[in-house]
Amino acid sequence: MLRTLNLDKKYTTDEVETTALNRVSFEIKQGEFVAIMGPSGCGKSTLLNIIGLLDNPSGGEFYFLDKEVSKFSERQRADLRKENIGFVFQSFNLIDELTVAENIELPLIYLKMPSAEIKKRVDEVMEQMQIAHRRNHFPQQLSGGQQQRVAIARAVISKPKLILADEPTGNLDSAHGQEVMNLLTELNEAGTTIVMVTHSPSDAEYAHRIIRLFDGEIVTENINARSFAKEML
Amino acid sequence: MLKNYIKIAWRNLVRNKVYSAINILGLAIGISACILIFLFVRDELTYEAHFDKADRIFRVTNDINLQGQTDKFALTPFPLAETLKKDFPVVEAVTRVMPIGKQTVWLEDKVFSEENFYFADSTFFRIFNYPFLYGDPATVLDAPKTVVITDELAKKYFGTPENAMGQTLKFSKNTHKITGVFRDPGHSHFKLNALLSVNTFDETLKKQFSGDWFRMSLYTYALLPEASKKSEFEASLDTFYAKTVVPWMKENKLNASMQYHVQPLPDIHLNNEFSYDLSPAGNKAYVYIFGLVALFILLIACINYMNLSTARSAKRAKEVGLRKVIGAHRSQLVRQFVGESVFITMLAILVALALVELLLPYFNALTEKNFSLANFGNGPFLLVMLLIVAFVGLVGGSYPAFFLSAFKPVDVLKSDNSPRGSNAWMRRILVVTQFTISLILIIGTIVVFSQMQFLKNNDLGFNKEQVVVIDIPNGDTILVNRLPVIRQKFLSNPNITKVSNAASIPGERTGRLLYLAEGANGGQMEEKTLSTIFVDYDFLDMMEIKLKAGRNFSREIKTDDSMAYIINETAAKWLGWKDPIGRSMENGLGAKGKVVGVVKDFHFASLHNKIEPLALMLAPKSQGFLMVRVAPQNLPATLSFIEENWRAFDNKHPMEYFFLDENFNKQYRAEEKMLTVFGYFAALTILIACLGLFGLASFTAEQRTKEIGIRKVLGSSVTEIMLLLSKDFAWLVLISILLAAPIAWYGMNRWLQDFAYRTEIHWWIFVLSGLAALIIAMLTVSFQAAKAARLNPIKALRAE
Repeated sequence: MLRTLNLDKKYTTDEVETTALNRVSFEIKQGEFVAIMGPSGCGKSTLLNIIGLLDNPSGGEFYFLDKEVSKFSERQRADLRKENIGFVFQSFNLIDELTVAENIELPLIYLKMPSAEIKKRVDEVMEQMQIAHRRNHFPQQLSGGQQQRVAIARAVISKPKLILADEPTGNLDSAHGQEVMNLLTELNEAGTTIVMVTHSPSDAEYAHRIIRLFDGEIVTENINARSFAKEML
Repeated sequence: MLKNYIKIAWRNLVRNKVYSAINILGLAIGISACILIFLFVRDELTYEAHFDKADRIFRVTNDINLQGQTDKFALTPFPLAETLKKDFPVVEAVTRVMPIGKQTVWLEDKVFSEENFYFADSTFFRIFNYPFLYGDPATVLDAPKTVVITDELAKKYFGTPENAMGQTLKFSKNTHKITGVFRDPGHSHFKLNALLSVNTFDETLKKQFSGDWFRMSLYTYALLPEASKKSEFEASLDTFYAKTVVPWMKENKLNASMQYHVQPLPDIHLNNEFSYDLSPAGNKAYVYIFGLVALFILLIACINYMNLSTARSAKRAKEVGLRKVIGAHRSQLVRQFVGESVFITMLAILVALALVELLLPYFNALTEKNFSLANFGNGPFLLVMLLIVAFVGLVGGSYPAFFLSAFKPVDVLKSDNSPRGSNAWMRRILVVTQFTISLILIIGTIVVFSQMQFLKNNDLGFNKEQVVVIDIPNGDTILVNRLPVIRQKFLSNPNITKVSNAASIPGERTGRLLYLAEGANGGQMEEKTLSTIFVDYDFLDMMEIKLKAGRNFSREIKTDDSMAYIINETAAKWLGWKDPIGRSMENGLGAKGKVVGVVKDFHFASLHNKIEPLALMLAPKSQGFLMVRVAPQNLPATLSFIEENWRAFDNKHPMEYFFLDENFNKQYRAEEKMLTVFGYFAALTILIACLGLFGLASFTAEQRTKEIGIRKVLGSSVTEIMLLLSKDFAWLVLISILLAAPIAWYGMNRWLQDFAYRTEIHWWIFVLSGLAALIIAMLTVSFQAAKAARLNPIKALRAE
């Protein structure tokens, strides 16, 4: 699915150079569920942005679907992104002025899908996320858990190969958080690759594999005990 | 995709009502001002366009040079037309139009005083295609003593245009038969009530006119086969001048030169450089100024839009970030935001059209025109709307579009990161631009106003107040002979102090006459032209014009009748006479005489013009005007006394009278109008700019809520907070003053060059305008600042 080799990311502001990522190399296979962990400022969001093709690395190689994309232009990255990647954020990032259904259909609009097909897919995914009854509501009228389900619906509607989740449960209480993690797990079991940044060890438990970052470097990379056990069964 | 954009745009509008109202209202006011100005400018630029052959019709004008003084005349001599017809193959048709001036018309037992009557050749309607209700335009003016009248005149005289056909109008000497009724659509330098056939002139009159190439009496229009033949026409006029007019001038010992010019019909209206032109010309400069003002207002409205959209950018940042994350290209986002501004512009246009409908009656009153949106015409209307949408949509929309679409999703999607700072400079520049433009207009308004005050209050050298002027009807010699009796009758009223009659009065056209005058050192007589007013014994006294040397005309001295001249100081200087009294002068009419007095210069023309050399000649029974100086008390009674007694002597003509000062000030009508329009549009720009400032201030206050909260917790007072928030804007206004002052000074200085006598642009005008702008801006901002400053700090700090 994706592979990095000696990824570097440096920021220069006011003559101070900070290194966010330092020679990071790893590989994520199709169908994996990977959690990225580490303390604040360790570079995990930077890494997620690069994996998500929102940002280019300063150095190193990055293969996405076997294509070297580290030097891609913004336009090329946008095209690759809209075909293949779905995003889920901590703060949901739903557009306040659009209804639930309108938020969800947005990626398909940018994919220029015919409107009948869009309608069919939106209905399906809302059914799947159990938010069909909220179709014409605006985000402010929903609970946090419902908002995140809308956000996930939006992330999956284009049937992306990869879902990137940035602290998806960060703004949710534990019951809703668990619900979201279950959804992600279901998606993963249906074949979608998932990469998730998290602070929460319990959330990380859902992943097959945990990459730990510290000061921009990978310190450990281990198979998750629980999922290992699951594999064994 | 489009549906999605419109939905977002619409919901954003509805959710942020104040912001949307400010934005749309600002744009709408700007656009409506633009539409109004467009109506005016387009009208001014399309004079004569309704004539089918407008582009092929040319008027012959001539420059006459006498003793180094060149005058541009719109008038031409009588015989020119016949020559053009006979000897100029390039001319397809030609017509003369001869003004008659004020005319009395008798209709059975009724009497009317009419203006805008002209003699014209029978070819007139073949060149100028006026719509006819009755009569055949090709032949209506063929026969002598025929007249065609407008439908309006026909209605006034006979009830319906139909009834007018075949009726007769009686003038002082002749009776003319009505052979046609036409409609005058206006919008031309002609203002017609009636045209009389030139063929009415009898042979002796024609002969008298025919040989004279120097008597400028009428307007000559030529129709050319195509517009491009203009230069050929001009060249043949030059040849003709050298071959025919020059020998004629030599023969008549005229020491002058002439140059014929050819003026395209559509150029006539906006050309005001000719003496004796038909209706008062428009002013090219004002057309440009208004056009510029329209552009300014639109620009200010656009800037508002740009400012408010970028100020609000934090609120849209999340959307931009998200759209990018799910794969939107930057170009798609630019299109979305430009589209949004186009959408808002279209909404604003709807509001603007309603505003225009509402304002049109007032605007029509202001401009003395009759505009309506209906007669705009679909094509040009759509084109203008399209241009406005393109201009506002693109200019106003592009900056926010590029600004917003440049947001990096990585930065804006983190909840605690709202983009800030980067556009503050741009916003400041935009506010400064707005206020600079507003200030230029404010300064302009004050300068125009102070020049108007100067014009009205400047010492004219005579007293124009409290003078009633009666227009003496033309050609009534019996009445003129009775003037001394009328004078005595008037003076019997204790509220009438002076009575005088003169051929011309200040503010009306003053004719020039050719003189032979003694040389500077008493040598040979030289040809000179001087403006000349024929006056009676009491003129100087009545007008309160002061003598500088010599004496006034006197009833006791018999020779004053035809042998005395009074000149003004300028004339004395111009003739080079150190001691003017007793110098010899002889006018072109053969009156040989001596200078008996010199008067202090007085303004017999508007203050646009320098005081010219002037001669006063005695003619106690001149036709023209009777001036009556009245006491301020019991004015209505005095006026009815004058009316009653005048009618006792003249019941044949309708009596017409006016006040000298009002008539004199009429010369400043164009400037008055400009002042009003300028004033309104300056107020508008300030209003729009303040709307923008209001919006901007509210966003600044919102952005700084946390800072204000902290400051208040630390003990800052409401006043201090208000000062803090207002300070930034005050700086911007101050910078605008510095920028606006030199531009306004330069522009207004150029405008003032139009006046021979002008006020100075005082430094206090800049201070006053600056203060006004500053106060208005501060009031606008402090409203928001006060609101922010009074907010409970606990609330502000929890808002995070």
